[in-house]
Amino acid sequence: MSRLAQQQQALLDALLGSPTEAAAQALAGAVATPWARGLQVYRANSRALAQRALAAAYPVLVQLLGEDSFSALAQAFWQAQPPRRGDMNQWGETLADFLAGDAQLQDLPYLPDVARLEWALQRCAQAADATAEPASYQRLMDEDPARLTLVLAPGCTLLASAWPVTSIVTAHHTEQPDLGTAAERLRAGLGETALVWREGLRPRVRAVWPGEAALLSALQAGASLAAALEMAHALDFAAWLPMAGQTGLLVAVHPLHEPQACQRAS
Amino acid sequence: MSVHPRHRSATVSTGIGWRQPHYRELLERRPALGFLEVHSENFFADGGAALAVLEQARAHYPVSLHGVGLSLGSVDGVDPWHLAQLERLVQRIDPVRVSDHASFARGRWQGGTHHAADLLPLPLSREALDVLCANVQQVQDRLQRPLLVENLSAYLRWHTAPEDAPLTEPHFLAELARRTGCALLVDVNNLYVNARNAELAGAPGNPRALARAWLDEIPASVVGEIHLAGHTLVRDAQGEIAVDDHGSRVCDAVWQLYRHALARFGTVPTLIEWDTDLPALDVLLDEAAHAQRMTDEAAAAASPLSTRLAA
Repeated sequence: MSRLAQQQQALLDALLGSPTEAAAQALAGAVATPWARGLQVYRANSRALAQRALAAAYPVLVQLLGEDSFSALAQAFWQAQPPRRGDMNQWGETLADFLAGDAQLQDLPYLPDVARLEWALQRCAQAADATAEPASYQRLMDEDPARLTLVLAPGCTLLASAWPVTSIVTAHHTEQPDLGTAAERLRAGLGETALVWREGLRPRVRAVWPGEAALLSALQAGASLAAALEMAHALDFAAWLPMAGQTGLLVAVHPLHEPQACQRAS
Repeated sequence: MSVHPRHRSATVSTGIGWRQPHYRELLERRPALGFLEVHSENFFADGGAALAVLEQARAHYPVSLHGVGLSLGSVDGVDPWHLAQLERLVQRIDPVRVSDHASFARGRWQGGTHHAADLLPLPLSREALDVLCANVQQVQDRLQRPLLVENLSAYLRWHTAPEDAPLTEPHFLAELARRTGCALLVDVNNLYVNARNAELAGAPGNPRALARAWLDEIPASVVGEIHLAGHTLVRDAQGEIAVDDHGSRVCDAVWQLYRHALARFGTVPTLIEWDTDLPALDVLLDEAAHAQRMTDEAAAAASPLSTRLAA
């Protein structure tokens, strides 16, 4: 290992993971005295940055845990899984699994799914833009649905949860429903499947309609519109279609061979 | 991009760091500014609202893309993913300048490649200079344009081997510019923070004089942008240290150094950076106006006409 490689390794070892006295002492041999105060500046920077970056992606988790607990979580996550890229917006995808493995949080078993939903919203906000093609809806009148597919909004993601995950998140976003109602649904053990999509530039989330998850999943798997509707008997398609167009969920109606945008989060 | 000294008193050469809380207000008011600066990494998305707002701003202002994550000094090289994102953003925005730092953050940890998400200092060694030059060259080749590379606030200083006598930082950066054709982004506040911390660590000399000497060692022809910001003096049980937090107005000592820099480098596009405890937009505009007045005064003092009038 070159001298420069050793120097860089020593500083990374002192900043990534749990700070150890051994790592600090190894660094001490490579840098000028005084060094302890300087190292502390870098460690404080990474603590603050970890907290800020995760809070930006997980604002509802911050509210559920409180600032102090969230800050401790961010610090623990930084130590366990420091960033892999120089774009902090990419960091935090595995927070849900990290929460699921945290013994101290076992009495809040819905937190991992809240984290998955917030990450889906964050990714959705950054997804490639799409231009709505309302004229293409005419294909639904003119062509065989066995040879058509629906192009869905950027960032469109389904998340099935054993918890009322949509209610918990939207109660914190918009008080719809209010927190009391979300808490009742939680106590009643009500599961929800969340749908995340983008309405223009705005990320949106709601609970799916009956049959809607089946429709979207089938479309995502490459099924034709006709085959997807076969899977979604519970869906009131005549009511769904104008709603999907108005809220930006439906972008276009295309011939079947074109690629599909919808993803499944878990 | 011209990086030669120039004096254009009629044009606005000062810009501000444009951060999320000011997105809407700035687009509504559209104050006269030479450019807007944003952090490149905040716009690596495939699409969405942030990118749309930047494209809106680009219709009215030149945009300077300032990176914090390329890790140009890393022995493990530049992340190809990061470079691809930056290339796409440069193509989308057509920025007036693209910059990052003479620092590292990327490296191996527990069997994987990680990024410390900070601007970590390089030793001022020939070996580090070689690595930095190679990475800067790679980025410039990919982007098909010169990069600007910024001097850091560093809170640690590396020992160098006896056989590899350290360069001075200005010499190190001047060599980087000479070998790669990159320009330098001179952060005057960072110079002053480093000089203050050297003083706090017991080094001899006055921080203002040290920082002036630093500026005097930089070749004027390679300076493409200047950064100004505020810093904080932190005192606690572990001692006292100046921290470059970009969270306050530019201090008097840094304004004086800026005057010295203008006299040496001529009119250089200058950025007011503010990243923590963001104040009202008007405070940033006020700082930018102050920098602009100093630039105009320096340009007037340097012009042949004023020289004749003064004679």
